[in-house]
Amino acid sequence: MATSTTAIEDARQALSVAAARGDGGAAALRRFSDAVDELLQQLCDAAPSASGASLVVALGGYGRRQLCLHSDLDVLLLFDGRIGEAEEQRVRAILHPLWDARFSVGHQIRQVGDFAELEIDNPEFLLALLDARPVAGDAALLERIAGRVHSPAARGRIFAALLRLIDERHATFNDTFYQLEPDVKDAPGALRDVWAARAIAALTDPALIDRGAADRARLDAAEEFLLRLRSMLHVEHKRNNNVLDHETQERAARLMGYGGGPRQQVERLMGDYFRHARAVSRSLQTVRHTAPLPVAANLVQARDGIQFVDANDAQRHPERWLSLFQAAIDTGSAVADPTLAWIEERVDAHAPEAFFPAAADRDALLAFLKPRAGLYARLSEMHDCGLLGRMFPEFQAIFCRVVRDFYHKYTVDEHTLLTIRNLERLATRAVRGRERFTALLDDLPHPELLVLSLLFHDVGKWRDEDHVDESVRMAREMTRRLKLGDDSAALVEFLIRHHTRMSLIAFRRDTEDPEIVRQLADLVGIEERLKMLCLLTLVDVEAVSLETLTPWREELLWRLYVDTYNRLTLGYADERIAHEESGLRALVAGRPADVTAAEITRFAEGLPRRYLQLFPADEIYRHVRLSRDMRPDDVHADLKRRGSLWELTVATLDKPALFSNICGALSSFGMDITRGQALTNPNGLVLDVFQFADQERFLELNPAGKDQFVHALATVISGQVDVAERLRTREESVLYRRRSGVTPTVPVIHADNQSSRRYTILDLVADNALGLLHRVSRAISRHGCDVDLVLISTEGQKAIDVFHITRGGAKLPDDAIAVMTAEIHRTLEG
Amino acid sequence: MKLIKAIVRPNKVDDVRDALGRISLPGMTVTEVRGHGKQKGHTAIYRGKEYDVSLLPKMQIEVVVADNLVDEVVTAIITAARTGESGDGRIFVVPVEQSYRIRTGERSDT
Repeated sequence: MATSTTAIEDARQALSVAAARGDGGAAALRRFSDAVDELLQQLCDAAPSASGASLVVALGGYGRRQLCLHSDLDVLLLFDGRIGEAEEQRVRAILHPLWDARFSVGHQIRQVGDFAELEIDNPEFLLALLDARPVAGDAALLERIAGRVHSPAARGRIFAALLRLIDERHATFNDTFYQLEPDVKDAPGALRDVWAARAIAALTDPALIDRGAADRARLDAAEEFLLRLRSMLHVEHKRNNNVLDHETQERAARLMGYGGGPRQQVERLMGDYFRHARAVSRSLQTVRHTAPLPVAANLVQARDGIQFVDANDAQRHPERWLSLFQAAIDTGSAVADPTLAWIEERVDAHAPEAFFPAAADRDALLAFLKPRAGLYARLSEMHDCGLLGRMFPEFQAIFCRVVRDFYHKYTVDEHTLLTIRNLERLATRAVRGRERFTALLDDLPHPELLVLSLLFHDVGKWRDEDHVDESVRMAREMTRRLKLGDDSAALVEFLIRHHTRMSLIAFRRDTEDPEIVRQLADLVGIEERLKMLCLLTLVDVEAVSLETLTPWREELLWRLYVDTYNRLTLGYADERIAHEESGLRALVAGRPADVTAAEITRFAEGLPRRYLQLFPADEIYRHVRLSRDMRPDDVHADLKRRGSLWELTVATLDKPALFSNICGALSSFGMDITRGQALTNPNGLVLDVFQFADQERFLELNPAGKDQFVHALATVISGQVDVAERLRTREESVLYRRRSGVTPTVPVIHADNQSSRRYTILDLVADNALGLLHRVSRAISRHGCDVDLVLISTEGQKAIDVFHITRGGAKLPDDAIAVMTAEIHRTLEG
Repeated sequence: MKLIKAIVRPNKVDDVRDALGRISLPGMTVTEVRGHGKQKGHTAIYRGKEYDVSLLPKMQIEVVVADNLVDEVVTAIITAARTGESGDGRIFVVPVEQSYRIRTGERSDT
């Protein structure tokens, strides 16, 4: 082995001499790398055998045959089978002589089986594998792992890791290659960027390196220049130090033969350095910007759009095809044409359920349908390639369907997609003057159900008879396949069944007739349905032809919406559930075994009629149970999660400042109340339902949080604890703090003594803030008023609340209203 | 020859069209308009805020008829468009000097 060691020293000496005269470029480094190869081959031959095949693999710079004088010698010792005593002896016999020969060895010892799963948390190692080269042993072992390392999925992961590493490295140099004392290996525009540009091309598209500003010849020239500098720096610093500092610049310039005085020599050297660094930076930038970019699992964004990385994997998983279109929306691009053609060839082989077999797939589909920029274009792509029609065979039934009438200008399928485009334009505020409708859309908790309804509203037109019933029937098939919840399915069915109703009323009926408005209010029942029906009508009419939705019609529709909304929110209190109410009878008839007819009637009779439309039967039975055995100071509360929000249901007997105290208790825990209803029946039973965001995740992070919260609520309601005291600390820190970037608006309070026979109504619109409801309702209570009914909603950063109040069982006189609203104004404006 | 211009409630257009059809009036022009007369519109409240709705959506129907048909047409429109409430609209009868058919260039009496 002495001969080999001598050979390595000779090779080192030769490289030192070449480097010192500025000739330590690629050829010199290749000769040195070859000498190390020879040494390793001799060491492997002499080392004890492993129990199976083994291989020494050169990695990183050594793998590229660019081993510098003091570079780390990166090697992978690969074994076929378990690493036991024999393998350990072989490793020692190889590594010890390398250390003796003064190499700094960066070694990895692996079994081939270790590569079954790639080490995605070790991106440097994955990158080093890109330059892997067999040196000594059974080269077939490397081929066995190469398939995994170079699989499309692994390439995507490596590419993503590489981009992250580049960004992190550049950040340490303040993202500029104009360094006065550059690190010729790590700085932007230096050797690592040369290798990164080549690696990106190798991982994605080798032709990238010859495209645009990327220039293979300039990259090669830059690499040669930088390698020569690096070799020289290793000689000068006598270690693996790659910084071209001021002192070394003078010697390097002289050794590399630059003419002129010392200062001119340095300027010329650095001029060349920056010229090469700029070429490298531009090449890397070009390659990065034109390379297909990984955007999701098995997806890249190429120049012509989103495409699969591994088509074989995609073929096995049709449930992942939707992710193409989701990624296209997320990245603001299209799906690549060849990928659409690929889908078109294969889509008919799958049943509709194959595209959303699991709950997560169905949730992803609904999330995809949220109206936003790009949805129409992506749905159109899905329709064109047959995916939409395969997912929803009902929609395929109206493919290019022509229905001749005086109004429609497009085929039924395109009319349908245009309705969704119109909704998308509302969501993206693309049409000026439609802000009032956009606000309705912003307020919807589930706009995707509106899109789903639009998608199906005309599917019944595949036949010539009345299409609405047929659309409803076909939509039921779809909601069953999607396993949509009962509430959601009912909402979709409602919207489809009544999708022509609002345009009929707005354009063909006397909307100044209160009875017409009352009938529409009765039909929709609650504001959410009204908003959805209004939006559906708007976009449906607009999609008929360019001329159909005139500003005149838009105004008619809006006025109908406003009148109906006011009827729902201001006039609902006078319409109470009567003993013979059909809805009440249905509740009694369908009651579960543990709920009696008498307790349902006692609970619900006298509540506003909208209660029956607001809550499904199961919820109402839950409310009945919650209201059982109620004594004066009892508080029966139920807290449950509803998606990203929480819902608190409180049943208790009415008392002064009750609503204010409940709101205060919620706010004292930092809860942001977004929606809610407060109802009182004639027996003095109060049912309050709040939906709120737990912004500080108190309930999520504290196992006993729910009990703690309910207990605090009970103590506040019973008067044992002063909620104002609990809130004070929070109010001092948060209450008057303006949200950054949000311009505060003047609160609007409108008092109405006309809309209800029984109540004075306070309509409040204000910037949402912690404790807002508590402070307003506290001010109302201070004026001796009872808060009997409240509607709570939010629209973006605005709180929109409607209070139905009385004093001494009657409406308030005008002077009392003026005093009270003035105080609420003062409270809100701080 | 007279131009009869009727401003009616939007929901009454179909009724007026049917009524004019019953007296065999051959053609009409319908335009979406906004305005107010004595009805003057009103102030509406939405989410606590007042907004002006003084310009009310109406439909304008125009027909040109021979002088001897004016009374019959006006009566038909009034009968069809009336609700008895404020905001039912107005009818104007305007003399027409000449009328031409664009396709043929011929002058016509109606």
